[in-house]
This record gives sequence, C-alpha cells and structure tokens, in this order.
Amino acid sequence: MGQLALLATLFAPFLGAIALLFVPNREPLLVRAVAATSAGTALLASLYVFMAYDPDEGGFQFITNWAWSEELGIGFHIGVDGIGAPLVFASAILLFAGIFISWHIKDRTKEFYIFLLILAAATIGVFMSLDLFFLYFFYEMSVLPMYVLLGVWGSHTKGYLSMTDSEGRKLRDSVGFILNFGSNSKEYAAMKLTLFLSAGAVMALMGILLIYHFSPVHTFNILVLREVAHFDGTLATIIWVLVFFGFASIAPIWPLHSWSPVGHAAAPAATSMLHAGVLMKLGHFSIIRVAYEILPDATRELMPIAAVLCVFSIIYGGFVAYYAKDTKYVIGYSSSSHMGYVFLGMAALDYISLTGAVIYMFAHALATGMLFAMAGWVYDQTHTRDIPSLGGLVKNMPFLAGAFVIACMASVGMPGTVNFIAEIMIIVGAWEKYPFQVVVAVLGIVLTMAYLFKMMRGLFYGQMSPEYAHARDTSQWVDRLPLLLMIGCSIFFGIFPMHFYNVVRSTVVPMLDRINQVAPVVTQNTTGLLP
Amino acid sequence: MTFDLTLSGSDLLLLAPEIFLTIWLCVVLAVDFTYKQIDHEKLAYLSVGGVIATLINLIWFDYTGVQGALFKDMFVLDGVAIFFKILVLISTAMVLLASIDYVKSFKFFRGEYYFLVMMSALGMMFMASAQDLLSVFVTLEFSTFGFYVLVAYLREDQKSSEAGLKFFILGVFAAGLLAYGISLVYGETGTLIFSEMTSAPGSYGLAIGFIMIFAALGFKIGAVPFHSWIPDTYQGAPTPVTAFLSIAPKAAALAILIRMFYVALATFKPTWVLLFVVASILSMTYGNIVAIAQKNIKRLLAYSGIAQIGNVMIGLAAGTKRGSDAILFYLLTYLFANLGAFAVVIGVSNRIKSDEIEDYNGLNRRSPFLAAAMLLFLLSLAGVPPLAGFIGKLYIFVAAIEEELYTLLIVGLINIVISMYYYLVVVKKMYINEPHDPTPLSVSTPLKTVIFVGIAGTLLLGIYPKPFIDWAVSATLMFSNLAAPTASAPAVLTSLAGG
Repeated sequence: MGQLALLATLFAPFLGAIALLFVPNREPLLVRAVAATSAGTALLASLYVFMAYDPDEGGFQFITNWAWSEELGIGFHIGVDGIGAPLVFASAILLFAGIFISWHIKDRTKEFYIFLLILAAATIGVFMSLDLFFLYFFYEMSVLPMYVLLGVWGSHTKGYLSMTDSEGRKLRDSVGFILNFGSNSKEYAAMKLTLFLSAGAVMALMGILLIYHFSPVHTFNILVLREVAHFDGTLATIIWVLVFFGFASIAPIWPLHSWSPVGHAAAPAATSMLHAGVLMKLGHFSIIRVAYEILPDATRELMPIAAVLCVFSIIYGGFVAYYAKDTKYVIGYSSSSHMGYVFLGMAALDYISLTGAVIYMFAHALATGMLFAMAGWVYDQTHTRDIPSLGGLVKNMPFLAGAFVIACMASVGMPGTVNFIAEIMIIVGAWEKYPFQVVVAVLGIVLTMAYLFKMMRGLFYGQMSPEYAHARDTSQWVDRLPLLLMIGCSIFFGIFPMHFYNVVRSTVVPMLDRINQVAPVVTQNTTGLLP
Repeated sequence: MTFDLTLSGSDLLLLAPEIFLTIWLCVVLAVDFTYKQIDHEKLAYLSVGGVIATLINLIWFDYTGVQGALFKDMFVLDGVAIFFKILVLISTAMVLLASIDYVKSFKFFRGEYYFLVMMSALGMMFMASAQDLLSVFVTLEFSTFGFYVLVAYLREDQKSSEAGLKFFILGVFAAGLLAYGISLVYGETGTLIFSEMTSAPGSYGLAIGFIMIFAALGFKIGAVPFHSWIPDTYQGAPTPVTAFLSIAPKAAALAILIRMFYVALATFKPTWVLLFVVASILSMTYGNIVAIAQKNIKRLLAYSGIAQIGNVMIGLAAGTKRGSDAILFYLLTYLFANLGAFAVVIGVSNRIKSDEIEDYNGLNRRSPFLAAAMLLFLLSLAGVPPLAGFIGKLYIFVAAIEEELYTLLIVGLINIVISMYYYLVVVKKMYINEPHDPTPLSVSTPLKTVIFVGIAGTLLLGIYPKPFIDWAVSATLMFSNLAAPTASAPAVLTSLAGG
C-alpha cells in the first residue's frame, strides 16, 4: 500500500502532464481541473507515505526496485527514508498550492501546467531515488522546465539594480552580480539559472561517474554503494568536492547563489514557490544522499567548509534582503540566507542539528511558499513589486495581510510554527561544535525580522497610493485554499511535531553514527526540548 | 591472392537485403519512366515500402542470427553490419517520407530523387559490411556518388550548386587520400583484409597510411579538422538531403572506423587512442562554440552535428567493447533526435520558405506541435533526461571513465553546458518571443508521421532503453576480447539490492 502510494506520488503528476496533452487548449477550466486532480492525488498519496512511514523500523521504506539496465548497473529503485518522506510531502503540498495560485494564468494555460507538473514530478523523483542514475536523471529533468516557465510566464526584473540604503546611496550585490551584464530581462534570468544549474549538475555527474568507476561493484545503486564502496585519500576528497559544490550550487551556498534571486524574481508565483520551496532543497538532499551515505569519512573531514560558507550565506543574504526594494528579491535573498541555516545544521554532524536541518527544509518550503504566493498576488493586483511605491494595501486586502503576517512570523521562526522547532534544534545542536556560527545564526534571525517586517510595513501599512485603489483581496476559495493549506500545515506540525521528529530522527541517527564512527546510541536527551 | 567469386544459394541469402533493394530501386525508376504522369507521392510510398520490406528482412536476420561472410571476407554480415544497415534504412525511410512535400517544389526529376536516395542507401548498406580496404573504397564511392547529385539538386539555386561543388571537390580529395592510404597499407602489410592485418608489425608507412584513411573517413563523419565542407553543404543542399547527409553516411563511415580500429589495429590501441582524443576534443569544442554564433537553423544543426560526432569519438577513444556498444546506442539516439529536428525544419521551411532562426520566433503560437517536437529533439541533442540523448551521453561517458580518459570526460561534460546554451536560444525564439506573423502553420501527414516516429524514438530510448542497449551489446559480441575488466559481483548486488 505504501509502495503504491509512493509510486502514485511520483507518477500522478507525470500522468497529469500526459493527460493534459489531450485536453484542448480552449477549455481552460478542464485543464485546471486535470492538473488539480493529479496534484491532489499526489498530495494525498504523499501524506499517506509520510504518515505511514514507520520510525521504529527506520531505514528505507516502501521500496520498489525494477531492473532498468543490468548492462550499466542501473535499477529504477525508489523508496523514502526519514529525510525523503517529509520532502516528498512538502513538494506535493507546494505543487497542489501552486496549481491554485496559478488559477488565473490566461496565456497558454495548458503548457504552463504541463511544465509545472513535470517540474514538480521530477523534484519528487529526486527525493525518492535510491539509484544515483535516477537521482541525476530527475535532478537534471527538474532544471529544464524552469527555463520555459521563467521565460514564457515570468516577468522582467525591473528592480534588480535599484537597491538603495537609508541615505539613498546605491547598493549592489557584487557577488550575486557576477556575470550579470546589467540585464533585467526574464530571458536572461532563465538562461542564467539553467546554465548555472546545468554546470553544477555536470560537476556532480563527474563525481557520480567517479564513484561508479572506483567502487568494487559497477552499479549506481546507493544502497549497494553505501555498503561496498569505500573511498579515502585524494580520491575521496575529489569526489566529495565535486559532489558537494555540484549540488550546493542549487542549494544555493554562497558564493554560488547568484542565479537564485534573479530566478526567483523573474519566475511566475507558482514557479517561485516550487523553486524556493523544494528545488533548492534538492541540493541539500542530494548532498545528504550522496556524500553522507557513500562518502562518510570525507564528509566528516570536509563538512567544515560548509560551516564556513554558511556564515556568508546567512549574513550576506540577510543584508541584501534588507536593502532590496523588490518584494521577490527580499524573499529570494531571504531564502538563500535561510538555506545557510540548513548547511549549518548539516555541517555540525549532530543528531539534533541534522534533524533540525531536515525539519527546517520542510518548514522553509511552507513559509517561503506562502510569501511568494502572496507577493505574486500583490504583483498581479498592482503590477509592481517596488516596495516604496506600495503601501496601505491592508485596507483592500485584509485577508491577505493577515496571512502575510502569519507567513512572516513563520519565516522568522515564531513558536507555534514548525519553523521554530527547526530553528531551535539547529541552534542547540550546532552550539557545541560551531558556537560562532550559532551566534551569527541568531543575529540572522534578528535580521530576518528586520527585513520581513520592513517589507510587511511597506506593502500593507502606511499611505496607499491612489493608483492601487482597485487592488482586490483574495476572495474566491481557489485563491484562499492554497494559503490556508500551507498555513495549516505549518501550524499543525508546529504544534504536533512528534511524528515528524521521530521519522527524521530514525534516519539521522544511524547515518551520523556511520559518519562519526560511534556506536549507534542516542547520546543526547532531546525530549525536553519538544512540546 | 585469389578471389573466390562463386556463389551458392545460401551465400545469396546473406545478400538478400541488398539484392532486394537493388531490384526495388530499379522498379521505382522504371515506374517513373513508364508512367510519366504518375503522382510522385505514390512513387515515394512505393520507395518507402521497399525500404521497409528490406528493414523487415534485416530484422528477421538479426532475430534468427543469420551471419556469415562472402567473397573472401570482403563482404561480411555480422551483428555490427546488421545494426548499421538497420540504422541506415530507418533514416532512409524517414527521409523519404519527409521529402514528399519538399519534392513537390522541384521543377524536374522528381522521380529520380527517390531513386538516388535509395541508391545512396544501398551504397551505405554495403559500407556497413565492408571488411576489406578494397570494398571500403568501392562502397564509399558508391554511396557518395548519389549524394553528389542530391546535394546539387536545386539547379536554379546558387547555394545548392555551390554546396554541390564544395562537396564534390572535397569528396574527391578525400577519395584520393583514401586510395593513397590504402596503397600504403597494402605495401606495408601485403593484405587488404582487416582481420589479416592484426599481426602486422608497426611501421611509419602503416601509420601514415591509416592516418590518411582516417582523414578520408573523417571527411565523411565531419570530424574537426576535416569538417570544412559541412556547414556550407548542409545549408545549400535541399533540406531532406541535409537530413540524410547528417546521419546515414556518418553512421556508415563509423561502421568502417569501428571495424578498422577495433579489428585491424587492435594491437596498436595505445597509439591511436591519442588520435581520437584530440579529434574528439577539437570536434566537441569547435562545433559547440561556433554553433553559438549561427543564424541559420541548418548551419546550427550542422555545427551541432560536428559536436555530436565529437561525442561519438569519445567511444572510439575508449577502444573497448563498452565503447563500441555506446557508439551504436548513441547513433540510435542521434538518429531520432537529429532526423526529427530536420523534419521540423522541413515542416517550417515548406510553409514559410526560410531557415533563419529569427523566423522561428513564436513558433509555439503558430504551431504548438512543431514547437513542442523541436523542443524535445533539441533537448535530446543537448542530453537532457528523460530523453534519448541523455542515456546516449551517459553511456559514452561510462565507457570513457572505464578507460580513465578523464580529460576527455571533463571536456565532454563542459561541452554539455555550452551546447545547452545554443539549443536553449532556439527554444527561447520558439516559446518566448512573439511571432512576426501569427498565422498558424499546418503540417502534412507524412511529415507528421516522421516527427511522431522521432518523438517516439526519443522518448522510448530515454525512458526504456534496455532492449536497445541489449541489442547494441549483442551486436558487438565480436569485440568482446576488448572488454574492459569489470569487477561485478552479482551475488552482492542481489543480496543487498533485493532486500
């Protein structure tokens, strides 16, 4: 049953995309209905998978293993562990919400939903791949739909270069603007994103091929490689660096983040949600799946690199977000800043912090999904994302303003949301090993509050410009449903995190014991931390 | 040396596909001459029927394992030969179907067109069976002969004549090189048959001879630095001929290259690996970088073809059985993606009479089918999963890493990213830009069939390549002495992966 549900989660969006090919373009309602049905199926199936995952048993569950090519040692081998299950669930939530967020797209509706479903399905595929070949297969497959989604349905990034500080001086993200050439077009953003991620992907592919070649068994099967392949010395370092930086470019770790805010800003709302919500987590997830599972020794020795770089991610992203004037830049940079927390949680190699990092990925997916969805709504109503020119929208949009406050609170990590649990676990878990980074992370939370509240004030409070008097609130159920779904999940798992915590921990503990070379015993009592 | 040219009935069986196709192409020509008023579309279907019948014959040979050699090994029918013959015939059938609308624009000689295409195909089928330098020369010239005429088919078009002339002069030059190389090799070894050369001692004469032969075949496959005729010829030739030229002769020449280097020169492998490494790096990098600057879709596909041949040569450089499997599979993926892309180009140019990339603006609004098909084909050429090209590239890379050709691998991976740029530029024009003229474009049924075959092949080889990989593996069984040592331990696999 669980196996079937897992397959349904993966194939429902693909089948939806195929079914859409046969729906005529002149019936947009039918197109949306088909897309929503397939996404809904995936959502229910993934909820079942997440709930049915047995934390007492641990390990990989709901495994399907079909031989795909014995010649090359490839199998269609899927299953989830405690890290994959919540991320599959998060992808399905965001896909389902994204379908409704894009309800009002009029231009080439059918194609939009086809590409969106392929994007989400490929992302879901990565989270359940137990074969390096299919991990890469789905990973690269998720990058290409982004190009078309950004290029066709995206918007130009007008506010890109106009960032000013409080005294009116012009600022720019000098690292993020590498290879920028001052272009504000969506085509540019799409191309940059695709090439950047493809470059990262082929780097990781080189690492994967080296693993394949140097393992005693010529296979791409992660479970086999984990047991039989042992790498050390220079070779292990080379593979680790290729895998880590290859995948970290999508995460995105500083200084490889430059494609990400541009991409967020240019993308249509639903794409931004999936992009920031789950696409970026492919990076962390793949690092965990490949480097943590197959290269435990190199991970133990080299993960401090991530601990250093995450400081830059957190601070740099936070400051740029503070000065940015475009709503989507603020959220985009806040995402790249928050991804630094995940790296911190991963780098500490501690039970609590890694569990926190995984929960943080889920929590961030929901929080940033909400923020992008609402920024998208505001843009659709006012046709601007320039914060200084907006204001006072609370009069027109009371529901949205309320939801926005909740989303900001979630993003900051307010108790009661799942983000709080994740954040506190990362901070507590990493304190022993990286106290300096933890101090930076706490300052980062303050910074998050500063820029999110600044944006909130700028959008919803203060004086409203008369030209935006026609802006409407979300009134239809199709517009409110995705927001309520994401808020509901965030608060539900914030109040009842125990199952979630157990699921993640059941996987994290044996994994870290392998890396830290200790007996699989629980060394820290964490029950007191949880409500 | 005496040649035994007597044939028995069972020997003739081995030649059945070629004999059948010969008769059939004479029939097509005769029908055209006899019934002057015949609709040329019917001739096309007649030709396609003959090609498909030959194809079925070959598939039956492959299925029942009919193999053998004729004329003292000058003509062999083995797994590799059957594979390449099938490849050539699939492309011939697709090109014939794709030509139907295009041929209507010819003022003269519509019937002979189909005859010439099939005659070139016949030549290339013989090429796939050539196991001897003399038959290499004869079959190569035989197949090129048809192309000389086909490339210059648009008499009134200056570009087509120029293309024909360029192709002819360089082709004749390559033939001269080939003949001279063959004479040198014969002088050094005293034999023309590949399998008898294996024990020949190395010498400068032999090396120079084989380098000349390699150069001549390099012209056919369009490897840098022998590529200079490709862009102009591709641009000037009638588009269906360009499509044919972009896959079938390359495949046939690769069949000869594989045989020559894997059989005749197997003992000198350390020496010739470097040749392929250099040619491969040059082809990939030059093809991809120059493709970025192209404004004409046929030129873009020409340069992309040069780069793709660079990828194929990674497999040759590996020089193992895995390498030859990978080449065979890669050519299959390339066949569907490349012919599909050319079919879209034919479809567009039939309607708007232009091959400029600028005129592909907004193709998605004018014909969602053509745009989506082109998107799939270009992404397959770029090597994006879940399309065929990705599996082909991965297979080639696996073959390369088993021989530890790291430089080649790194260059190949970087080139994937470079190539993605120019393929995506075309995607951008089709999907993002708005059309100058929004009138919808219609596609004729035969062309639609070709495009659907291309899409089916591209998706099937990408999603379920197992039968095709197995086919490639069994076709090259004769090279299993070159297999790279693998340390596979099935017991470990099953015990761990099963649970």
